[in-house]
Amino acid sequence: MRSWWRAARRAAAVLVAAGGALAAGGARATDIDLFFPVPVDGALARHMTTLVKEFNAAHPGITATPVFTGSYDDTLLKTRAAIRAGKPPAAVIMSANFLTDLAIEREIAPLDDLITAGGQTPDAFMDQFFPALRPNAVIDRKVYGVPFHNSTPLLYYNADQFREAGLDPDAPPRTWEELAAAARTLTRREGERTTRWGLMMPSSYDYGGWILEALTMSNGGRYYNEDYGGEVYYDTPTMLGALTFWSNLVHKAKVHPAGETKGPTVTASFLAGQAAMMIISTGSLTFIRDSAKFPFRVAFVPMNVRRAVPIGGASLVQPAVLDPEKRKAGWTLIRWLTGPEKSGWWSRATGYFAPNRAAYDLPEMKAFLDRNPDARTAVDQLANAKPWFATYRTVPVRKAIEDELQAVLAGKRQPKEALVAAQKAADAIMRPYVEDTALRLPGAE
Amino acid sequence: MSRPAPPREARPAREAGPAQEVAPRLGRALVAGLALVWALPFWWMLVAAFRHPDAGPAASLLPPLAPTLANFAEAWASADFPLYFLNTVLLCGGILAVQLVTASLAGYAFARLDFPGRSLVFGLFLVQLMLVPAVLLVPNLKTVAALGLYDTLPGVMAPYWATAFGTFLMRQAFREVPRDLEDAALIDGAGVWRLIRHVYLPLTKPALVAFSIVSVTSHWNEFLWPLIVINSPGRRPLTLGLASFTLSAEGTQGWGVIAAGTFLVSLPLLTAFLVFQRRFVNSFLASGIK
Repeated sequence: MRSWWRAARRAAAVLVAAGGALAAGGARATDIDLFFPVPVDGALARHMTTLVKEFNAAHPGITATPVFTGSYDDTLLKTRAAIRAGKPPAAVIMSANFLTDLAIEREIAPLDDLITAGGQTPDAFMDQFFPALRPNAVIDRKVYGVPFHNSTPLLYYNADQFREAGLDPDAPPRTWEELAAAARTLTRREGERTTRWGLMMPSSYDYGGWILEALTMSNGGRYYNEDYGGEVYYDTPTMLGALTFWSNLVHKAKVHPAGETKGPTVTASFLAGQAAMMIISTGSLTFIRDSAKFPFRVAFVPMNVRRAVPIGGASLVQPAVLDPEKRKAGWTLIRWLTGPEKSGWWSRATGYFAPNRAAYDLPEMKAFLDRNPDARTAVDQLANAKPWFATYRTVPVRKAIEDELQAVLAGKRQPKEALVAAQKAADAIMRPYVEDTALRLPGAE
Repeated sequence: MSRPAPPREARPAREAGPAQEVAPRLGRALVAGLALVWALPFWWMLVAAFRHPDAGPAASLLPPLAPTLANFAEAWASADFPLYFLNTVLLCGGILAVQLVTASLAGYAFARLDFPGRSLVFGLFLVQLMLVPAVLLVPNLKTVAALGLYDTLPGVMAPYWATAFGTFLMRQAFREVPRDLEDAALIDGAGVWRLIRHVYLPLTKPALVAFSIVSVTSHWNEFLWPLIVINSPGRRPLTLGLASFTLSAEGTQGWGVIAAGTFLVSLPLLTAFLVFQRRFVNSFLASGIK
């Protein structure tokens, strides 16, 4: 109740101040904003507030405010708007695959000088984290982001339904062939209606592109050029195989629902027993574990050509133009949040794996993994992990393939023509960058 | 909660001779069907909000046998709803109060004052309606920041204070007012201000009410612009508070809590609509908008 009044008074004061037109300048102490996106949702948003309070108590010179900024895509939008309006936040939890784009546009700053000032080489600093995370954080040999929470896609399956269908829960599908066969065995129909899907994978914006990347990589593909931000490999045999496989599960085998399937629908169906298997992020592991009323297991994403998955998750970044005082305060916050202890705590609260390797040497983490061996699978899968697609204008380039993916799953397009169209759209979006880099040639005048 | 079933829509059909028997029934069936489609999500929201998290599938439309308030308790605890509610009321009220003044004055100017370039200026004003709001995010934010309104409620309100839609609506409404009334008032010695206050505004009440409804509902539900402007947790409106536990990218969440939160957020507007239903419908009919 008291906080209500305090806040009400503050809101009233704001109105009054604004009524007097040109309002207040900033406070004197180092006030910084931390933008955080929605995967940190619900109860987790409260945990984030607690975490930042703890930070503020431990650092009297700094007052950090956690600012909720919507989805990963909204967070990018808000960060960019804030930077352009001259109000950059001191730190942002940014989707790890947006860093390349932000670095190309010079909207975020390399952190190397801050690392060196702390008496570490950038290499030694990045060595704290799992090597698979490096390509999405280090761009042009400069450190642009510090991994905060990360994920890989995992195969989740309902052990009861496996047994009931005559499958062995201890031997999950390892290949696409076994995956398709298991999905067929697990699907239940009543007449024309499917009462239980064998497999569900999310295909909404942001999630669809990531899952398709996982399938493409498992099919031997690369999805994009890790060393150059102006190239994606949409119209390739590896992606054609991945997309056709998904399309066949929907339209031929009919073991996967048609049309766009959103992430929460997938988890809700799995928890309700209406989907026997699903491929979603490790970031949902804690939620599934807390909500599932049946024994479930997790396994590596099944492969066709090789074992490979992309990483997901988010890194902490700092905007390029930042008051030096705030930059330092923000850096203190970033280091504090990504240390082994907080990293491990956050991992246990969410299901994301802790990017900081030292987190796994702490006794709480060891005890936790003994109790929850499923959390170890995500970490083990890191051995197969590859970087997450990141290009110039990542979001529209990603949407170019996601729109086509959704059209294919809805039965409106054939995989091949979808990939040709997606490639064309993506190339057009990246054209300005390509013309400014790879196609800017000497001797053309 | 159902939309006002409009028997009057069926009425013209009654005069249509041979169709007399069938048309009203068809019309009513159609309306009932539409009402059902419209009400279904609300019904689901209610059912899900009162269902115990462990009881049955989330998609079920059957009311729970043992209703629970646990979802409400969790939703209430996960966001500072009284404060967000206050913020949203301040936002909608602050926007509407200024809009009513600017829209009626500008509407009067465009409807009744003769000045060079009137239609050109009016046309330019209407171009506002054609712009996609997303295009204006960054320029508006720059202006708001330059005015020192970043991260304040007035900063969220400011871009809406000059409303093209409201001005257009009031202009049309004022043009309907007979000139004779204005002349009579002028002869009685009324100035422009008294003319607007005592002749034009009372006669265009339906348009004012209709515009108010449109303005309040759209700003009550707005998400992106407040998200961009507001940083401080204490200044968030309801939509941001709700989004912090309904949106989800890689994480996931409980439908019961979302439904309960959505119910809490929409309850005040729903109640207002139920209470003032008749008046709202009349205004929409009189002003011809929907």
